[in-house]
Amino acid sequence: MRVEVDLDKCTGHGICESIADDVFEVQDDGTVLIRENERPDADRERMQQAVTQCPAAALRLID
Amino acid sequence: MTLASSPRVREYSPHDLSTRRFWSQPFEARDETFAALRAADGLSWHHPMPTMFPMEEPGFWALTRRADIAYVSQHPELFTSARGIALDPMPFEVQQIATFFLAMDPPQHTTYRRLISSAFTPRNVHRIGEQIQKNAVAVVDDLVGAGDVDFVAACSSRLPMLTITEMLGVAPSQREAVAKAAEKLFSMSDDEYSSLEERAHNTINEMMLLSNTGIELAKYRRSHPGDDLMTSIVNAEVDGHRLTDEEIGAFLILLSSAGNDTTKQTTSHAMLALANNPAQRDWLAQDFESRIGPAIEEFVRWSSPVLQFARFVTEDSEIAGQQIKAGDKLGLFYCSANRDETVFDEPHAFNLQRSPNPHLGFGGGGPHFCLGNQLAKAELRTLFRELLTRLQPIEFGEPDLLLSNFVHGIKRLPAHIR
Repeated sequence: MRVEVDLDKCTGHGICESIADDVFEVQDDGTVLIRENERPDADRERMQQAVTQCPAAALRLID
Repeated sequence: MTLASSPRVREYSPHDLSTRRFWSQPFEARDETFAALRAADGLSWHHPMPTMFPMEEPGFWALTRRADIAYVSQHPELFTSARGIALDPMPFEVQQIATFFLAMDPPQHTTYRRLISSAFTPRNVHRIGEQIQKNAVAVVDDLVGAGDVDFVAACSSRLPMLTITEMLGVAPSQREAVAKAAEKLFSMSDDEYSSLEERAHNTINEMMLLSNTGIELAKYRRSHPGDDLMTSIVNAEVDGHRLTDEEIGAFLILLSSAGNDTTKQTTSHAMLALANNPAQRDWLAQDFESRIGPAIEEFVRWSSPVLQFARFVTEDSEIAGQQIKAGDKLGLFYCSANRDETVFDEPHAFNLQRSPNPHLGFGGGGPHFCLGNQLAKAELRTLFRELLTRLQPIEFGEPDLLLSNFVHGIKRLPAHIR
């Protein structure tokens, strides 16, 4: 499973970071950096939460 | 053909949203009207809101369901902010000064937002956690054993004011004046702040006062750089140019108003709700650290401090089966979305265990989602920890409500603190 960000949509609200700060970090330029795109299956629920709660709909999960 | 699907029929809804009388009712009473609109087909067309400016508009469509507001918020190419976002008819030039980059679309909006967004990232908000903590402790120190107070002045208004003005680098002696001017700017609809005749004039005056404060502060930070938001603003470049004094003034108006009133109102509403629901208060206090996260979401849903913003339609389109035309105005009623019974079970119950809680208290998503949401949550978390662990339950009197169609405000809240 991969988590990806569409940087054209991302406005750096930081909701994803508040859900998983080991994976997402909003940079000073206001876009998000993903540390490890490949996520283990055990992390699915948390990643799904980040995707669902992104106010800009900028994140997606790819199986 | 039904009324909702006919492009030509545009009768004003019998449900009134556009008078002072409607907005002088309490939130719960107003939601009876919103509930009727949420349950109806399509969208409803309304008379324009009262305005203090000599402007004429035909009216607006009311968006009352959560899904419709989220859709519009996330499609700025179809529903623009660049023609203004005030539901009350207001000249665009005035809105530009008062709301700055809120009244822009991407990519222009993105450029300005990024100039200040770094101050509001989770990591940078975390960095100022100690400052927020110190200020929250000081606020609650003054409350212990205070007796009869106005809770808004004694508590709710203080932490947001200290936080945003410290971030901006406003001198301590000017902090109260900046917060007061910001409060007045968005409270003009209430007779206590301004008479009908003086309303337009006073609005411009408060805007100029805040703008000049920003310009003075910028002047100082150009020669005396510090580690604050104003220093980054004066050093920022857009397309190779430094910001103009007008733009810097507009930043100060936006940050001081958005950073003050919202969190202040949420604090008052949430404290009142906790006092009215002692079982929930006890539940939260029993395991504060693990329960405050979801509780804050309910504080914000419950309070809905910003009631609405507007958009304009850029091309003929459709929402909820309703034909809408290019140039039409839309009112996005976040207050109604946050009571949408198709999304929230028992929407009128204050329930800290609500999960999920997809409220629109920070907006409907998309580029204009509240930039300060992390800061607001950090302030609320820190302040409520102090309030719930160090004080006996507070007895509250009747809140004195602000008359406004924009801010869900409490002007004064009598309290007895032991």
